[in-house]
Amino acid sequence: MAVIEVKDLVRDFTTGDGLFNRNKRTINAVKGISFHVEKGEIFGLLGQNGAGKTTTIKMLITMLAPTSGTCRVLGYDVFGQEKQIRHRINFIFGGEYGIYRRLSARDNLKYFANLYKIDKNIRDKRVDELLELVELSDRADTRVETFSKGMAQRVQIARGLINNPEVLFLDEPTIGLDPLGAENLREVIRKLQAGGTTILLTTHNMYEADELCGRIAIIKQGELLTLGTPQEIKSRLTPRRVVEVARDEITLEDAYIQLVKGSDGQ
Amino acid sequence: MKSASVIWTSMTLQMKQTFARNMFKFTLFVGPLLTTIVLGEMFRFSGADSFVAYVVLGSGIWSLWNSIAFSSAGDINRERFTNTLSIIFSTPADFRKILLGKIFGNTILSMGSFFLSVFFAIILYRPTIYVANWGLLFVALILTIAAFIIMSIFIAYLLTLSRKTTIWMNCLEVPFALLCGFVFPIENLPQVVQYFSWAFPPTWAVRLLRYPVTETGYTFTEALIPLLITMAVFALLAGFLYKAIFKQAKVLGTLDMA
Ligand SMILES: Nc1ncnc2c1ncn2[C@@H]1O[C@H](COP(=O)(O)OP(=O)(O)OP(=O)(O)O)[C@@H](O)[C@H]1O
Ligand SMILES: [Mg+2]
Repeated sequence: MAVIEVKDLVRDFTTGDGLFNRNKRTINAVKGISFHVEKGEIFGLLGQNGAGKTTTIKMLITMLAPTSGTCRVLGYDVFGQEKQIRHRINFIFGGEYGIYRRLSARDNLKYFANLYKIDKNIRDKRVDELLELVELSDRADTRVETFSKGMAQRVQIARGLINNPEVLFLDEPTIGLDPLGAENLREVIRKLQAGGTTILLTTHNMYEADELCGRIAIIKQGELLTLGTPQEIKSRLTPRRVVEVARDEITLEDAYIQLVKGSDGQ
Repeated sequence: MKSASVIWTSMTLQMKQTFARNMFKFTLFVGPLLTTIVLGEMFRFSGADSFVAYVVLGSGIWSLWNSIAFSSAGDINRERFTNTLSIIFSTPADFRKILLGKIFGNTILSMGSFFLSVFFAIILYRPTIYVANWGLLFVALILTIAAFIIMSIFIAYLLTLSRKTTIWMNCLEVPFALLCGFVFPIENLPQVVQYFSWAFPPTWAVRLLRYPVTETGYTFTEALIPLLITMAVFALLAGFLYKAIFKQAKVLGTLDMA
């Protein structure tokens, strides 16, 4: 059984503008994508701004309902069987939002530990360990609003690990982190994978995707463009481009740019 | 035990955060003061009975209503903008308990507003305070708070469906205070409007609260029975709505700002 099963997944948004929302408009954020992720895999979801990555993740983490199609995590439907999924997964969104800025890092983590129903006996120890992991132990008791962007982001990372999730969703998790912080997070991700955690990751950093992901899906305007290992995707680069760079110097970024551009018929 | 901990931590952290906010200091202190002065000046030359009933209690109730209902609505809005709303919604914790904890936290803080209003009214206007039955007044106050909590839950549920929280709240504040007779008897309203007043628990809570002070108007039981009925109706309605509303919030995607 695949840990993540997505089939013909569609999500539309209806937005209203103008007086009394009269100018209704439907945005097709995700237009029928399919992929599956096996246990212990690190799966990358790449694509341009607005491609539908975050929307897909929001559906997978039971935050948003799919418009149609199959969307299952750990064998359960994300819409209707949330209860069976939520305590076994977690997610980290890039950016400073998603934590309580007027509370300390420790209070944030303790609160989420409670929301994830973590036993009191292990809660405080887990919180300390996570603060250590994201290198915030010395600032643990100051309010998050006094933190730098990257520090706030680290609190989010710790929050996402609070319940030892079996499946972890990462939406641009290294955004705003300094190079060392980003490398540390990649180290954490690799360790989690070694421990059997399944990870779905989005990033705009092609080096990161290449380094971490076992398989990658590239989506464009809500549609799946390509899916495969970084090697496979790089080898799909057309000869025209290959003559310019030596074969072993082709980066995922080269492949990505050509694929995304190429599909515009350029 | 675990669910108690969700309610408890949601409540205590709610209070901690609110205290850290400057705007709250305004709502807690300046708001009640202004309400009291406005009502006090309006009622200055009326009889002593209505002064206590409408200024002392009226401004207290108004402040209570404002802070319970508004702080909860404000919180939903704030948490929508900081993307914590959708995150706490997606945790295994029962979202109803999280909201309930927040509302309890706000209620405790609101009591501060209530007593401040009463205090301001007394020191500013020095009315002769006559309360016929303190025991009943106490019971009435507890029931009033319960009624406001139920309304607050109801409003919080509905507001998860709309991103335009602030507009709704501004449209609701004063009309609701007038509709439920916080500052003048609803009998002064057109008959048709009064039927709407009857539907809401705060209308009856206010009557219940006034009786121990004035011992005129609706008697305690005359106000108590409709209060309990309307409270039960709103509580049931909120219970029924919960599933539909939170399903719909996921369908509409109104829990966060994309
Ligand atoms: N709640 C919403 N209401 C309306 N439209 C939305 C909503 N959420 C997302 N969209 C739209 O859906 C599309 C996909 O957005 P999404 O956030 O999934 O993109 P993304 O791939 O994560 O992009 P980025 O790399 O910029 O994060 C965009 O056109 C966006 O405007
Ligand atoms: Mg995104």
